Amino acid sequence: MLVPKAAWRKTGMAAVLLPLLFAAFPAQGMEVEELIRHIDRLWRGETSHATMSMTVKTRRYERTMTMEAWSRGKDYSLVVIREPVKDRGIATLKVEENIWNYLPKINRVTKVPASMMGGSWMGSHFTNDDLIKESTFEDDYTSQISFEGERDGKAIYEVTSLPKPDAAVVWGKVVMTIDQQSLAPLQALYYDEEGALVRTLSFEQHEQIEGRTIPMRLSLQPEDKPDESTVIVYHDIEFGVPLEESFFSLQNLKQRR
Amino acid sequence: MQHLHNASVLSRLPMLLFIAWRNIWRNPVRSILTISALAGGLIMVILYASLLEGMSRQMVKFATEISTGHLQIHRQAFVDDQDLYATLPWSYMTRIEQDIPGIHVAPRLYAAGLASTRDTSNGVLIKAVDPEREPQVTLMLDHVRSGQIEFGPASPSAEGLPRDNVVIGAQLAKNMQIGQGSELVLVTQAADGSIGNALYRVAAVLKPLEPNFDRMGVLMSIKSFQQLMYLEDGFHELAIKLNDPTALETVQVELREELKRLVQQQPLDELSGAPVVRNWRELSPTLADMLELSNTFLLIVGFIVVGLASLGMLNTMLMAVHERTHEFGILLALGMKRRWLLLMVLLESFFLALVSALVGSLLGVLIAGYFEEHGIDFSDSMPDGYDWAGMVFEPVMTAYLQPYDVVYASVLMILITLLASLMPSWRTVRLKPAEVMR
Repeated sequence: MLVPKAAWRKTGMAAVLLPLLFAAFPAQGMEVEELIRHIDRLWRGETSHATMSMTVKTRRYERTMTMEAWSRGKDYSLVVIREPVKDRGIATLKVEENIWNYLPKINRVTKVPASMMGGSWMGSHFTNDDLIKESTFEDDYTSQISFEGERDGKAIYEVTSLPKPDAAVVWGKVVMTIDQQSLAPLQALYYDEEGALVRTLSFEQHEQIEGRTIPMRLSLQPEDKPDESTVIVYHDIEFGVPLEESFFSLQNLKQRR
Repeated sequence: MQHLHNASVLSRLPMLLFIAWRNIWRNPVRSILTISALAGGLIMVILYASLLEGMSRQMVKFATEISTGHLQIHRQAFVDDQDLYATLPWSYMTRIEQDIPGIHVAPRLYAAGLASTRDTSNGVLIKAVDPEREPQVTLMLDHVRSGQIEFGPASPSAEGLPRDNVVIGAQLAKNMQIGQGSELVLVTQAADGSIGNALYRVAAVLKPLEPNFDRMGVLMSIKSFQQLMYLEDGFHELAIKLNDPTALETVQVELREELKRLVQQQPLDELSGAPVVRNWRELSPTLADMLELSNTFLLIVGFIVVGLASLGMLNTMLMAVHERTHEFGILLALGMKRRWLLLMVLLESFFLALVSALVGSLLGVLIAGYFEEHGIDFSDSMPDGYDWAGMVFEPVMTAYLQPYDVVYASVLMILITLLASLMPSWRTVRLKPAEVMR
């Protein structure tokens, strides 16, 4: 009856988003392969530790959360909410295609069932699937460079990803714009199966961190709700922190609060 | 002359009636068979009518008494997409209760959430009711399968965390393999955007009421709901029961006007639209349509059954007329008017039909009365009842006999059989005495 729009997942998408969107291009055609290999090399097995804030604006409320996030490659991530007080300590662990939440108020870990993957993430405009699909993007989509050249005074690659015939996917098409020089993403457009634009993810405020160009601000704009948006701002991000796979365990999920 | 003639018809009628009656019993076996066929048809129609009526009544009862009530008030946005924020202020409820006589009201709130136990998780529909008011409006809380209806604080969890009681649907309990006393975690997005989460204890499992609730319903008190959802300023749904259900339309109009006044005095936010008052027919349109249709069904089925039975009558009368052509010829030769002969044959049919109607009605009423008392029980094959048009019905079919159904069915049968006997009677009119007496 009711559409589950809730935040069963207080998840680490933001932490994941950043590294994973880069790694998300499987190849077709020589140039794409090269591009992908390059990006892959940059990010594969990479670890990160970040603090960020997420501001969700809806018709009914505007809400900002501060979070701390760890990630390893694209399969492991852990996010803990630091602010506001009401949600403090709520943590999400993602390991491959599984997501668990830890709720400190009731001291329980709950696993998010497959049927709940479609709901909104933390009340934001990201869907729960965004987190999981990052891991399988390469398997589900084939990508191609659909445009190469200058746009708005910037040399860019435009990569269009289409779902493979038998893949269970949410998007009918994803079009990503990448800066040619820094290979940093600029914008991603998500289309549904009918080819209508559903949402726009913009990458802004690029900064040089440890030799990489990193967008410090991600803003998601749903097409059907022009007055709503979700904005993630990184305050601080470090790469190459020592994080073993064992760090991303249910035990650590409870202890990290 | 004309006067004399008329007098003679009237004076001969008793005699014709007498002859017609005696004629029927000249071949008692055949007549009894015909009567049995017609009476059997009538019994079927009466039974069908009473079972259909019983079902209709059960449906209306379920539609209104179990969980819907006679009328409901929502905000438009809640009707459209169950918008969490589409609430009506609590003061509206107080005012409606004060201003409109002869009603009971029960407020409800809804939200989507995720229920988890140690082993499983399931998307659920959280429904909040007022434990005091709900029983005045619906029987929802009486339909307990196991456990005891309890709301409010339960015993704390093993590590001493506070818990509230909830009541859940039977299918959900089965799917999550939980029952009375089990612990349940609910996680949802609260109205302020935060993550609502709390521990609960399952106090009871409800019998199936509506498929949705049965599969994913978690029932809690409005107080527990407000603590979980941070949604305190109103309710989503107001279910209303009328003391006099026949005043449905009047009260609906009164409520609309009352709401107009209330909106003027205490304006609502614009996002969630205007308040909407709907009656149970509008709330369960499939059911309302079905009830409308059932009378038509009844008429069609009645025609078919009685029509088939009256073929028996046609056959009987054709036979009777055929074997008596010689006799009719003599009567005509003796000077009997053809129209009296016609009348006599029609009277024979009429007597057959009348006797059948009496026997059929008597037996039909007895059998229907039995089913009214005992019902037809399908609970062996469908222990949980059957769901239809978004509601779950009891697996016991009870008849409800309305006297006018019996009268209608009998009249229908007599008319159809008389029509059927027109053909044999017409043959008597066209007899040529000289030929048939040869």
